[in-house]
Amino acid sequence: MSQTETRESAPEVLAAFLRQVRLGVEDGLDPMAAAERAAGALPGRLSWAVDVTSRRLRGEYREDGWGFDEEFAEAVYPVFDFLYEVWWRVEAEGVTNVPAHGRALLVSNHAGSLFPFDASMITMAIMKEHPLPRWPRFLVLDWAFVLPFLSSFMRRVGGVPASPHNAMGLLREDELVSVFPEGVKGTGKPFSERYRLQRFGRGGFVEVALRTGSPIVPVAVVGSEEIYPKLAESRLAARAIGAPFAPITPTFPWLGPAGLVPLPSRWHIQFCDPIDLSAYPPDAADDRRVVFDLSEQVRETIQENLYEGLIKRRSVFL
Amino acid sequence: MARRIVITGVASHWGAELARRLERDPAIEYIAGIDTRPPSVALERTDFIEADIRSPLVSRILPGTEVDTVVHCGILWYPEEGKPARALHEINVIGTLQLLAACERAPTLERIVVRGSAAIYGCEGPVPLFFTEELAGRLPLRTRFQRDISELEAYFDNFARRHTDISCCMLRYQPEIGPELKTPLVRYLTLPVVPTQLGYDPRLQLLHADDATAALEAATHSEVTGPVNVAPSGSISLSRALRLARRPSVPIPHPLFEPALSRLGRELGAGVLYGDAVRFLRFGRGVDNSRLRKEMGYELGFDADAAVRDFAAKASGLRVGPALHPGAVLDRLGVTS
Repeated sequence: MSQTETRESAPEVLAAFLRQVRLGVEDGLDPMAAAERAAGALPGRLSWAVDVTSRRLRGEYREDGWGFDEEFAEAVYPVFDFLYEVWWRVEAEGVTNVPAHGRALLVSNHAGSLFPFDASMITMAIMKEHPLPRWPRFLVLDWAFVLPFLSSFMRRVGGVPASPHNAMGLLREDELVSVFPEGVKGTGKPFSERYRLQRFGRGGFVEVALRTGSPIVPVAVVGSEEIYPKLAESRLAARAIGAPFAPITPTFPWLGPAGLVPLPSRWHIQFCDPIDLSAYPPDAADDRRVVFDLSEQVRETIQENLYEGLIKRRSVFL
Repeated sequence: MARRIVITGVASHWGAELARRLERDPAIEYIAGIDTRPPSVALERTDFIEADIRSPLVSRILPGTEVDTVVHCGILWYPEEGKPARALHEINVIGTLQLLAACERAPTLERIVVRGSAAIYGCEGPVPLFFTEELAGRLPLRTRFQRDISELEAYFDNFARRHTDISCCMLRYQPEIGPELKTPLVRYLTLPVVPTQLGYDPRLQLLHADDATAALEAATHSEVTGPVNVAPSGSISLSRALRLARRPSVPIPHPLFEPALSRLGRELGAGVLYGDAVRFLRFGRGVDNSRLRKEMGYELGFDADAAVRDFAAKASGLRVGPALHPGAVLDRLGVTS
């Protein structure tokens, strides 16, 4: 039966579908429910697409309290898959260091002046290479949550505003959380300082991990610095749009929107051995020395792995 | 345990609902309601006292009632008939201040509950997604209503510090929904075509009307002091809420949203959305309700998702006209079976 149906031309399929919808509506069904029922008679893939669309249009999908919409994340997955496999040819090592379940904090270096893709590539590495894939959540620069489109996009794919309250809330729900303690200092540093880790804030991420009893997994990302080399910045432009900084790269803003295309460097992501914090008492988070020591330990681990990755790398782009 | 209760703002929806619930409780000896106009619903054994809480007269009335509990439901979130926008500050801040002054003179008083607002946290993009109670006051006060709420909470805190023998509880309510409510937000959600702000999809917590009243009753009987967030668990995005309610939406660039909406509101007689709502419908707001659930022991009947579903099911009578009905559209396209 499906054989004959797939041979029908597109307008015929559409007319048959609409006829079914109308019949459903006449039977007293909700228009969307009627569409869903009519979709049953369509060829496989098409019927699936209609099914998903009508379900989404009726609001019948899950969002968690933080606004993460797994179906949406799956829908944009192919774009990031292309970036991962083809554009940046990412190699991930030690991905099994990420716990398969329970809370954990991924701490990584941060780079990519115009649009940092490191969070998305770490996510892809875990989704693609881990034996038990899971969606990590990530803390995003506050400014992104003021902007239209970007704010709702980030929220749907698992981003939350960078606040220790959000990180702790997610960890208490046993989520995997990626943080970038360098923040804007990491993404905004000039190209000449690439792969030199900036200050790790005030060690807030260690406090979060100690308070929630989460292990820390240091992550070193090589390749992210070359996607948008920041040669200079425009203070005027930054002030005009309220951005933390406005980078000037070899292609941006000179080539207009084409300048937003990242350079195809080759990436390597190293997931290091997890640091277990369960030996520390809960009030260790108030001990500045413990916090700074751990922060420095994580920072050094990432820095060493970055240098190792750079030595092993044969060429930036090939 | 509350036995003799005064409800201020008893003519408001929430004041009247609370009075109705408390009347059914035989353990309560006496209920009095203060407002400037009588409640629109029939109350059986609630003594109605016509008075304006903004006037010093309240100080003379309150001690005479010999109450042990005062529930203040007189805080207005938006202008109403006879209570224009300009009067809101008077009613909310000065009214609360006069009421607190009256409470100073009521020696029998043991507990005060204020039905306040979560608007104190404001609506911002980059913030904690679930505010806990101690985070109030860390954010800029952007709107007039937010400033008013923050001011009256400061007075209330001050009162609580001076009177350690009186347990003072400030409830911070997220906006309520229910088919019977006439709030600007409910009217907005039931517009035939709902304007939204282009590129923004706020996370909302809309409190089910039943939970709103029941939580108020629970707070009346509870001994919990300090601020308590009243909100459903979880959150729901505006876009999904509108889809569940089967409301088509039109995205409008956000600078044009407020003028468009107030114009539309006037045309439809739906009233103008207050300034807070515009920010609320851009950035949304989430609060943590664990104090309500764990310390006050109130278990909510509806989470954020269920509250909207229930609203959608009951408000479906307010549907769009036949022109947009898909069956009619298909007929016009000439699709026949």
